[in-house]
Amino acid sequence: MRKGKNKYGRQKAFKMSASNNVAGGAPRVSNFPNRNSQRSTLLKVVILGDGGVGKSCLMNRFVSNHFDEHSFHTIGVEFLNKDIEINGEAYTLQIWDTAGQERFKTLRTPFYRGSDICLLTYAVDDRTSFQNLALWRTEFLYYADVQEGSTFPFIVIGNKVDVPESEKQISTEEAKAWCLENGNSPLVETSAKDATNVEAAFGAAVAAWARLEARLERPIVEDTVDLSKQQSPHRTSCCMPASTAESNKVI
Amino acid sequence: MFEPTEQGKDISIHSGVVLRGANTREDDVHSTGTLSIVEYTFGKCLEWKPTEVSVVSESQDQDPEWSLVNTHTRTRTVSEGTDSLGRSRTVRILLCDLKSFRINRSGQQLTLMLKDGTNYVVYFQLFNADSFVSSLKGFLKFIKSRKDRNMYIVMEAEDSVLEKSFAELDLFQENASDYVWKFVKNLHDRPYETTMEACSKLTDILLHKEPTRPVEEAVADLLNRSLTLDIPQPTILNVAGEEYEVIGEPGVSVVLPPRPPCPRGAPLTQEQWERCKDTDGRITNSEALKEMIFRGGISPTLRYEVWKYLLNYYPWEATNAERIELKNKKTEEYFAMKLQWKTMTPEQETRFSDFRDRKSLIEKDVNRTDRTHPYYHGDNNDHLVQLYDILMTYVMYNFDLGYVQGMSDLLSPILCLMDSEVEAFWCFVGFMNKVSTNFEMDQEGMKLQLSQLHSLVVLTDPQLAQYLDRHESGNMFFCFRWLLVLFKREFNANDILMLWEILWTDLPCKNFLLLVCVAVLDTEKNVLMENRYGFTEILKHINDLSLRIELPWTLSKAEGIYHQLMAVAGLLPDHIRVIIGLEPQLKTAIIDSEEENATAEPQLDVNDSRPSHSTGSGNVIFGNNEVSFERGINLSYM
Ligand SMILES: Nc1nc2c(ncn2[C@@H]2O[C@H](COP(=O)(O)OP(=O)(O)OP(=O)(O)O)[C@@H](O)[C@H]2O)c(=O)[nH]1
Ligand SMILES: [Mg+2]
Repeated sequence: MRKGKNKYGRQKAFKMSASNNVAGGAPRVSNFPNRNSQRSTLLKVVILGDGGVGKSCLMNRFVSNHFDEHSFHTIGVEFLNKDIEINGEAYTLQIWDTAGQERFKTLRTPFYRGSDICLLTYAVDDRTSFQNLALWRTEFLYYADVQEGSTFPFIVIGNKVDVPESEKQISTEEAKAWCLENGNSPLVETSAKDATNVEAAFGAAVAAWARLEARLERPIVEDTVDLSKQQSPHRTSCCMPASTAESNKVI
Repeated sequence: MFEPTEQGKDISIHSGVVLRGANTREDDVHSTGTLSIVEYTFGKCLEWKPTEVSVVSESQDQDPEWSLVNTHTRTRTVSEGTDSLGRSRTVRILLCDLKSFRINRSGQQLTLMLKDGTNYVVYFQLFNADSFVSSLKGFLKFIKSRKDRNMYIVMEAEDSVLEKSFAELDLFQENASDYVWKFVKNLHDRPYETTMEACSKLTDILLHKEPTRPVEEAVADLLNRSLTLDIPQPTILNVAGEEYEVIGEPGVSVVLPPRPPCPRGAPLTQEQWERCKDTDGRITNSEALKEMIFRGGISPTLRYEVWKYLLNYYPWEATNAERIELKNKKTEEYFAMKLQWKTMTPEQETRFSDFRDRKSLIEKDVNRTDRTHPYYHGDNNDHLVQLYDILMTYVMYNFDLGYVQGMSDLLSPILCLMDSEVEAFWCFVGFMNKVSTNFEMDQEGMKLQLSQLHSLVVLTDPQLAQYLDRHESGNMFFCFRWLLVLFKREFNANDILMLWEILWTDLPCKNFLLLVCVAVLDTEKNVLMENRYGFTEILKHINDLSLRIELPWTLSKAEGIYHQLMAVAGLLPDHIRVIIGLEPQLKTAIIDSEEENATAEPQLDVNDSRPSHSTGSGNVIFGNNEVSFERGINLSYM
């Protein structure tokens, strides 16, 4: 059993299907891996956070590259698949989006099981959603049945950075401080509305996962990925450490 | 959509095609385009591109093909395929992702089903879907489904690979020495998984079995626990006092007679409605009215009036004068409750977190409720304020329940129809009285319905039930949204009005909503089973059915299922009888008295026809190996 990952082992899949893909993006994050010659690693990603922080919008921006300001709130669970390629490695992200309200907790938590990555989301104009991050993190760790919580790849996402400065309630510094105290998870400030850093956020998530994997195989990997809104998605992808598979080829 | 950098090669082009997918934006639904098969280096794709449509005043369109669609539009394919915001609208589907497809009854509609459960529906305006399917033949291997003659299943690459000799089978598709090297390296680090991975590659191909899904099993396991009712399940005691659980282990399985056709009727008209009023304005024949509403719904202009009765705002027997009085009273009452939250000071709110939480949730949800509907469209729309005010007032009306997500979905069509805050509020109260258990904290109402739905599927379609059970879906969680908001998200704005008014008649039986669910599942059964969908794909397929369910057809089917059940009502196990509102039979008496005479084992045999059990239906037979455990009923059930 390996650290920082679920106890079910990784599922490798032949051409996991994903028909929705995003245009543009960072040079090394390719949206459409050549799937005739590659197998992709299936990663289960869950997006958590208070109702209304923009979880569904983030997922739709990432997968279909569109933003619908008036989309419905989520009932039950939904998921979308998306293929991406990072540093030559093909991944299929299976992204799970659930409803944020407490009432539906018992129907949401089963889906945490077997996750590889967790995105903890708040909205920069909603202090309550930020304060609840710790609760979401605890809830996730409890129900996901992760062996070593501190090494699980959490990514903290501050969504809605497009809102006017006057409406922001959470500064980047404050959020960074929280991340530092909570397992040193990377922070990415995003806007599903204008597409800022959305790909970067998912890219960072996969990178964090890959980093943990790599660290487990090669304990000396030195990495500090600091993702904040000042960075363009292009630079973000450059920060991504060599993946396990690449290191195999190097040997 | 991904944008390949290379230029693809068009192999086959079909124009006049409308495409709709689960992620297709509303404005795309109505646009026409071309559907082509395009070859790229990474594989062949189905590619749909929208056609730019511009209205041309009086000029005749010279293109005879297009004149079929609309003589007043001129069309051309947009080279870039982007919309006004520069977003790509092209839809590309890799042929290797296609799992199956199905042509609908009219032959004009083709549903493409992808391996991950995603669906796309293609409408052919100019040709038949058949012509497109035949052009697919050159590029895909597919076979006709044995269960559904309109459905085609794409042969897996692995399937055709099997036809090759094992020697030429290129298992790993990468440089063999690389692979072995990687294998050895990984074997050292994680021997178990590496071996499993390589082995699974082999078994995948050789047995072409679906990979095992340990994560899905674990999720489904937990979900089952979440969905288990806290109230004790109905159990049945046998003579020795041993318990047999009814749910999931039906004692008697009943073979249903063929499903009778149940044609739908015309909507209730103004004239029919007026005829039911006496001189004082009382509604005299509400039962007959409900029958008519059940059969065909209500004419749109009449809904405003009739809904108030169906939702128990007005009693059927109220006179004109009484209704006016009632209305005044209810209006006062509403505004008194509204004032309660309106006058809450900010300081009070700081010390009232329950209230604050509800308020903020309502604010968020109102902004996300039916905003594409003209009634709620646009910013600073007053109707949104009304939606908000009603939900806030409902919080004061029923603070224990408060506001739960889903309620705004239930209110929105009512407000839109009533166009009056007070009337909409009281109608909403009536609706909530019918369904409030859906929203309770412990979710018992939802759990009960899901388990009842499962029991109904077990009885009406054991094969489907077994399939769902074996694919981690026996908890029926994938129907959660259907039940929580009574199909609000699954039907368009018009259909939902009709479905709800039909449900509000409480005809033909209790829990008819569950039979509607059974009917939809019956329609989807072949797709689920033939595609060998598992837990996640089932969930996705059902989620993606949104706005694609045919209402009248589904209603007829649901009613047909009701008649099938009623034909064998006397044989139905009590837990099923209770769901559809029949009295439990407590069959002990019958069997016991028979036993006294025969002292036989209480086993029912296929050939053992017992007159006391059949209620006049000659079609009733018992299946093989069925044992009746109805020996007496646990009183906690009553
Ligand atoms: N300004 C701005 N608004 C956003 C952004 N992302 C989402 N929103 C808005 O925030 C609201 C909530 O977004 P959703 O994606 O529905 O939120 P959610 O987290 O999925 O909420 P639940 O489904 O209720 O758990 C919507 O009305 C969006 O228009 C963003 O990046 N910027
Ligand atoms: Mg959502």
